[in-house]
Amino acid sequence: MERGFREAYSIGNLVERGNFLSFIFEGLQKAFQLIFSLNKEVFIIVLFSLKVSGIAIFLASLSGVPLGFLIGVKNFRWKKFTVILLNNALAIPTVVVGLIIYSFISRVGPLGYFGLLYTPTAVIIGQYFLATPIIIALTHSAIQGIDTKVRHTALTLGSTEIQAAWAVVKEGRYAIMSAIITGFGRIIAEVGAAMMLGGNIKGSTRTMTTAISLETSKGEFGFGIALGIILLLISLSINVFLSYIQSKKL
Amino acid sequence: MNKYVLLRIEKLKKIYNNRLVLDIPSLAFEQGKIYAIVGPNGSGKTTLINILSLLDIPDNGKIFFQGKEIKNISKNDLLKIRRQITLVHQKPFLFQTTVYNNIAYGLKIRRTSYSEQEKRIKEVLKIVGLSGFEQRESNQLSGGEAQRVVIARALAIEPNILFLDEPTANIDKRYIDAVERIIKKINHELNNTVIFTTHDLSQAYRLADTIISLLDGRIIQHIPENIFKGKIIQENGLQWCKITEEIKFALVSKRRGYIYIYIAPSDIILSNNRFSSSTQNSFMGKVTKISEHNHLIRLAIDIGVELVSVVTRDSFLKMNINIGSTIWLTFKASAVKCF
Repeated sequence: MERGFREAYSIGNLVERGNFLSFIFEGLQKAFQLIFSLNKEVFIIVLFSLKVSGIAIFLASLSGVPLGFLIGVKNFRWKKFTVILLNNALAIPTVVVGLIIYSFISRVGPLGYFGLLYTPTAVIIGQYFLATPIIIALTHSAIQGIDTKVRHTALTLGSTEIQAAWAVVKEGRYAIMSAIITGFGRIIAEVGAAMMLGGNIKGSTRTMTTAISLETSKGEFGFGIALGIILLLISLSINVFLSYIQSKKL
Repeated sequence: MNKYVLLRIEKLKKIYNNRLVLDIPSLAFEQGKIYAIVGPNGSGKTTLINILSLLDIPDNGKIFFQGKEIKNISKNDLLKIRRQITLVHQKPFLFQTTVYNNIAYGLKIRRTSYSEQEKRIKEVLKIVGLSGFEQRESNQLSGGEAQRVVIARALAIEPNILFLDEPTANIDKRYIDAVERIIKKINHELNNTVIFTTHDLSQAYRLADTIISLLDGRIIQHIPENIFKGKIIQENGLQWCKITEEIKFALVSKRRGYIYIYIAPSDIILSNNRFSSSTQNSFMGKVTKISEHNHLIRLAIDIGVELVSVVTRDSFLKMNINIGSTIWLTFKASAVKCF
């Protein structure tokens, strides 16, 4: 009897495996159809994701690079503590960031008045707070390594303090660029904050990652895989670009 | 040649971690001369050159540039002074760009016109023997080339005083000669004051008009060769200064404990064989370095520690000394000065 059960079990397994393969195959087929036919819905989602993450990373760079620079060059009382805090911030789960911002911008929150929840702005705010600590922390470590040498060299050549600071930033340009790209890589691929703050509203706040999780749970694997492939291609190109920049020697 | 005092310091003191690292009553540098600051590691050379080049500030004392004290002057005036001097660091640092852009940096911030920039960059690269290197990326240069580009970058801004911190410490032996020639040339052709630090005394002799000798942050009158730190001991009814386990010099002194001693190179008598004398200070050693300066031959001899002696050219030739030769050194106990 036991033998019969085993046989039955393995046959069932085989059937399931067959289903699984055909279902992956169908998913891929559909995905390529969607991509190559330039499916409007897919591309609206991709463009929205790129736009939101692009704006978020732009704003995060504007504040993160100068802050990272200042923490790198200035000596202040809580410097060590600040750096530890920043490095911790790199590992904060995205849903926690989502949760905190949610509590601020939801109807009952202190910023509820602005009605930001479930708008693209909310997603941008979430991603901004995810990317900024990364940019600050990586800019800081980039600047710290080169600060004294570059600053002294610039000063001995007759620069003012401001010109010397600019020389430091210029010298750290590749490291700063890779800080920004790393930040972009994190926010384009995150799902927690975008889901909680944007609400995954079709045509309004649906990003690649929130769409993938929704479509997969609906059983629309083709759509999910199509977006997954595009997301993979984007992160692959980000990484290729990043290693190119890093190969320029830091 | 116009020999007026360009830079002067008075009662300079610098303290690091509650330790007095520099204590210099006064020091003056004249226009158009080459100065070498010599001393062992940790003697305060780099601290002094950083203060002189206005990168570091002393805890006490005054600095005068062209007769004017640098204190409580406006930022603008300070910048004007800083732009007349420059320091080349011990480890050459180049910006990550082309040789051209590196040299142009100091000129750009002085708003020098592009045509003038181009002209000067060409000139200075020629001086350092790197014509045609304009478009090279800085990370493609060898250590010696990088050092020369750094000097060219400093020369391009036509400084009144050029400071060099250990200009040949970090470069390949092959390039030392080239860098030394450049230092001479800058001084001869451009009449710049050059102040450099070195721990290589023979380099100081080759290049400098004046040698400033530092030991433990103080200027000492002796050239820092044949200077040793040791402990006074009594043995066989005589007084000795024990330098290492094996080496001790007989001396006459009322001092106790650890002291510095100095033996003038001209007080050391050289001989091919040991000769009988009343002195206890007789050692056998091997010649390690031979150099010529002002018609005198300087010999570095290893007796367990390095001692330097000077002989005339004639006696040098008569004694038939080569590197590796074994010779005897003799000096009186009274030749061992302590301070």
